[in-house]
Amino acid sequence: MSSYRLPKGGLVDREAPLSFTFDGRPLRGFAGDTLASALLANGQMLVGRSFKYHRPRGILTAGAAEPNALVTVGSGGRTEPNTRATMQELYEGLEAQSQNRWPSLDFDIGALNGLLSPFLGAGFYYKTFMWPAPLWEKFYEPFIRKAAGLGKASYEADPDSYEKSWAHCDLLVIGAGPTGLAAALTAGRAGARVILVDEGVQPGGSLLFDTAMIDGKAAADFARAASAELQSMPNVRLMMRTTAFGWYDGNVFGAVERVQKHVRDPAPHLPVERLWRIVARHALLATGAEERPLVFGGNDRPGVMMASAMRAYLNRYRVAPGRATAIFTTDDSGYALARDLEAAHVDVVAIVDSRSSAGVDYRGKARLIREAVVCGTKGRKAISAIEVHRGGRTETIAVDALAMAGGFSPIIHLACHRGGKPAWSAEKAAFLAPDGLKGLDVAGAAAATTDLAACLAEGATRAKAIVTEFGLSCPPVVLPKVEGDEGRHTAKPLWSIPGVKGKAFVDFQNDVHLKDIGLAVREGYSHVELAKRYTTNGMATDQGKLSNVNAIGLIAKARGVSPVEVGTTTFRPFYTPVSFGALTGAHTGHHFQPVRKSPLHDWAKKHGAVFVETGLWYRSSWFPRTGERTWRESVDREVLNVRKNAGLCDVSMLGKIEISGRDAAEFLNRVYCNAFLKLPVGRARYGLMLREDGMIYDDGTTSRLEENRFFMTTTTAYAAGVMNHLEFCAQALWPELDVRLASITDQWAQMAIAGPKARTILQRIVDEDISDAAFPFLAAKEVSLFGGALHGCLFRISFSGELAYELAVPAGYGVSVADALMDAGKDHGIMPYGVETLSVLRIEKGHVTHNEINGTVVPADLGFGKMVSATKSDFIGKAMLQREGLAASDRPQLVGVMPLDPSQSFRSGAHVLATGAAATLENDQGYVTSSAYSPHLGSTIGLALVKNGSSRHGEEVMVWDGLHGESSPARLCNPVFFDPQNQRLHV
Amino acid sequence: MASLVPCPHCGQRPKEEFTIKGAALTRPAAGAEAADWFDYVYLRDNPRGAYEEYWHHTSGCRRWIVVTRDTVTHDVAASRDAADRARSEART
Amino acid sequence: MSDFRPILRPALATKKAVASAALKLSPLPEGTILHVLARSGEQDIVPLLDSLAKPAAHAVRPVSPGQWFIVHEEPMHHKEMKSLFAALEPRATGVDQSHGRVRIRIEGKMASRALSKGTAVDLDPSAFPIGQSAVTLIGHIAAHLTRVAPEAFEIIVLRGFAESLWDDLARMSLEYI
Repeated sequence: MSSYRLPKGGLVDREAPLSFTFDGRPLRGFAGDTLASALLANGQMLVGRSFKYHRPRGILTAGAAEPNALVTVGSGGRTEPNTRATMQELYEGLEAQSQNRWPSLDFDIGALNGLLSPFLGAGFYYKTFMWPAPLWEKFYEPFIRKAAGLGKASYEADPDSYEKSWAHCDLLVIGAGPTGLAAALTAGRAGARVILVDEGVQPGGSLLFDTAMIDGKAAADFARAASAELQSMPNVRLMMRTTAFGWYDGNVFGAVERVQKHVRDPAPHLPVERLWRIVARHALLATGAEERPLVFGGNDRPGVMMASAMRAYLNRYRVAPGRATAIFTTDDSGYALARDLEAAHVDVVAIVDSRSSAGVDYRGKARLIREAVVCGTKGRKAISAIEVHRGGRTETIAVDALAMAGGFSPIIHLACHRGGKPAWSAEKAAFLAPDGLKGLDVAGAAAATTDLAACLAEGATRAKAIVTEFGLSCPPVVLPKVEGDEGRHTAKPLWSIPGVKGKAFVDFQNDVHLKDIGLAVREGYSHVELAKRYTTNGMATDQGKLSNVNAIGLIAKARGVSPVEVGTTTFRPFYTPVSFGALTGAHTGHHFQPVRKSPLHDWAKKHGAVFVETGLWYRSSWFPRTGERTWRESVDREVLNVRKNAGLCDVSMLGKIEISGRDAAEFLNRVYCNAFLKLPVGRARYGLMLREDGMIYDDGTTSRLEENRFFMTTTTAYAAGVMNHLEFCAQALWPELDVRLASITDQWAQMAIAGPKARTILQRIVDEDISDAAFPFLAAKEVSLFGGALHGCLFRISFSGELAYELAVPAGYGVSVADALMDAGKDHGIMPYGVETLSVLRIEKGHVTHNEINGTVVPADLGFGKMVSATKSDFIGKAMLQREGLAASDRPQLVGVMPLDPSQSFRSGAHVLATGAAATLENDQGYVTSSAYSPHLGSTIGLALVKNGSSRHGEEVMVWDGLHGESSPARLCNPVFFDPQNQRLHV
Repeated sequence: MASLVPCPHCGQRPKEEFTIKGAALTRPAAGAEAADWFDYVYLRDNPRGAYEEYWHHTSGCRRWIVVTRDTVTHDVAASRDAADRARSEART
Repeated sequence: MSDFRPILRPALATKKAVASAALKLSPLPEGTILHVLARSGEQDIVPLLDSLAKPAAHAVRPVSPGQWFIVHEEPMHHKEMKSLFAALEPRATGVDQSHGRVRIRIEGKMASRALSKGTAVDLDPSAFPIGQSAVTLIGHIAAHLTRVAPEAFEIIVLRGFAESLWDDLARMSLEYI
């Protein structure tokens, strides 16, 4: 295979040769090459196999729209399938593999699909694989998935990192071609905050292969100078290798920056890709235009290429397309290519022009065939000849490359991402962005402006208008002088070509050909949205960049209407595929979600805690000791020790809210269903908060520390929700109340000291008298500790049913105070205990948590009916609580449950059935909400919500667990299993 | 991917900083008819076009705001502090 | 145990400053952070707060409508705090958050770039000048941010999230270190 690289010129660095491999074969290229240009320079025309028919495919474009040249780059965890070779920068050591071929690219068994093609037309899934249905999942789908191919994702973890960032600007310019550069320069010089993004490696866009002179400089040099000036402006950020992929609400643009996709070994301190969200006061879409393919037979053969792409490979990368090139054109752009090819001494065999006359006076050596079309091509794995159809006759001409110039479609995707529909312009023969967009303008080729001078002028004047609107004064715009630009005269679209031979592809990536479109229309799927889905045209990863407009034109032609009546399908982000890595950003692994650490975390860790994740918190579950073989042994010991001696438990993660203001008590009276107005200073009270529908929302204790200062606790799970709810009540419902809410959860390390010896231990560090007389059950106050060295809050409340306190101290002193308590209690048998023990202790006492407060219970269901104030005129939930159904006798009510045989057990979630009843939904009596092994009773115990449960104590039932295949006879009972008289609380 | 909600106190902020509660309805008076309460608690219009919603700037100023949002275009026509709205409604 | 002296354990005790010419990330000492909540309708309370705060730059920082932080480098004695709170009444309530919040400083010419990886707040000096504060999400964690110098910011975050936020900030700073 010989080199197609021309000896000099271009924007590649011939001093910097690079080696790479394609399907394991070592090849060479230069810095500045894309993988595509390097493959072409090496004469590698065949680079992949097509999706459905496994047809040989080459490189069609030189940019983002590439549908054919999809390859897998990299290996191991860095494997990146479906990489467009046209967008992949070449780097030393790049490994590329072709896709969708077996056993090899040259010899592909899947190509037999081509023979089956009569059965694989549009809608073949629906027709061929309808019966028998069971085969769909087992056979058809796996078969289709295996045969229809894109690259394979790696199963290895991605070793690289990704991140996200925000950026803000007055003007976002999308596209650094002539229009975008002119716009950015104008706005930048006016002092606006400008961001200019472009998916390419260097600014310039079409200037990088244009042969026009701007202000006496080569176009590429003009681009270089413009970019240097932009980079010197502190108010301008130039972001290359960055694709703006979507336009979102609030004028936010999504963009992905390929930070290290052009290196073999990414530096670990940098992400490989960065996802940008750019907030722009205004944006200018200067994305240029996409050249349309022409739909003739064999238009997919390797060697057939878009004319503008061929010009880019020739002028920018200095790669000749072949030895004998033909150009099939419908506008004047084909002649610029012919001139450039001939200037580079590449033979142009023929120019086939569909028109009767051209706008340029062609004087080159190529044979000019007017009023003619290319109707077919020949060749196996590369083009060898074209068939030219003229005046009813077909002539075969030998070529090894063919350019096609079907006219240009403005790239307006982003302008349509927020619901706008493109509008067909008969004058421009193109779909244009909708009018009246807010915050976004379209300029240059993206607005169907064709000549270079006009693009430069349009970019500058639009930018000037936009920044002037912002109140900036803009220096007069000086337009550069353009010479040697032939412009691009509007092509008359040539949707259908007479005499087409063989498959003429509309959508290259999804293998949709001309006949598929016709079939869809004939079978009634002529609506553009239906035709798209029936044929899959435009549904590949290229989203129909090359195919949609042609498909619309062909549908219009088949229906005998204008494209305006066919309309377009919906444009949605993303403009080009964005990796999951970039969308995920940095929030993976250790950074997946925040960890919320209790101030006593290290204390618990020191005592050997086993932690459990509770929301974002890490809570200590239990504290195993040497010799204990199961968690139950540890928990039984902790439970017994709390009831015999004392235990210390970290309860810092309970939500804590300070409520103050003149109307604080009135506020609490309205958010709790029970009374709070007359709670005395220095006392705590258990409160139930309802939702507006009458169901219980959350519970906790609230203490009145001063006349207008309360300390509320919430459950751990609902801490954030309760705070939001209280703020809603204070701000949106009753702004007339003087109430102030501060979250103080993190300010306090809070520990429960529970057990008969709790007071003795606590009194050693608390300065005040905490005897039962001085500090009775439900007392609450600020206390001084260690002779005034520290101040905290002490609450005599008990979740365990024991003599118990909760002590809150400033969080930074938490560990030190817990250490002091352990020291003070060491002769009294104090032990740390975790949430498992906490749970056993509360179930023994029949105390509820969110296991019971499950969103369907009202206070009476849990035995709290008498707590609900009958006298308050209003509280959240009062009105709906009056509903008679909520007082029905068969409502699920809290009840205790124990197995008849203590050697049997059951689990939470098990259902309660009448003895002997079948396990059916109709027979369901309720379910076990919480269960634990009580070491005091030597049996499993449970709390359950059972129909009319409070009146059924003593009744024998069956506890049935279909999930685990367990059932045990049990007895309903009082939910308070331990110390029902609460004698231990009041000692 | 992104959308910004204008907070009357903090300016444009991404939606991730907010919690949405739903329709910004006025709570019935304590002694209102049961039907009014059912409307308030359960029944929602689902208009095409302008819709007033409660949003909470949870990870920002923690104020509840009333956002007037177009359900078709997501354009926000107005956003104001819920307390201001409640006070002005109380006056009328 | 009146001879026992409790020991303060800073939330970021194990975190060492990370620094380069372009960026420095450092945990700040746990001094005093008082949360002031004004009575509704209270106007012009800032002069009172300024008079109660220590004479230092950025000692009073807006949190949200009617709420401020008063920040001191040094811990404040219990009695002194009580008298400060008394001086606020009845116009405002003071709540001690000295332990509930942790301060982190990020400075250097790339500081705002690093922060923009977490927050959507526009940190350009024209939009976020010195003395400006905002509560915002930094990644997944809500935090209070103040520009204290042309190229320096202070972050105030809930204690429980301080380590996580530190780790996130360190990662966001990686490319500048």
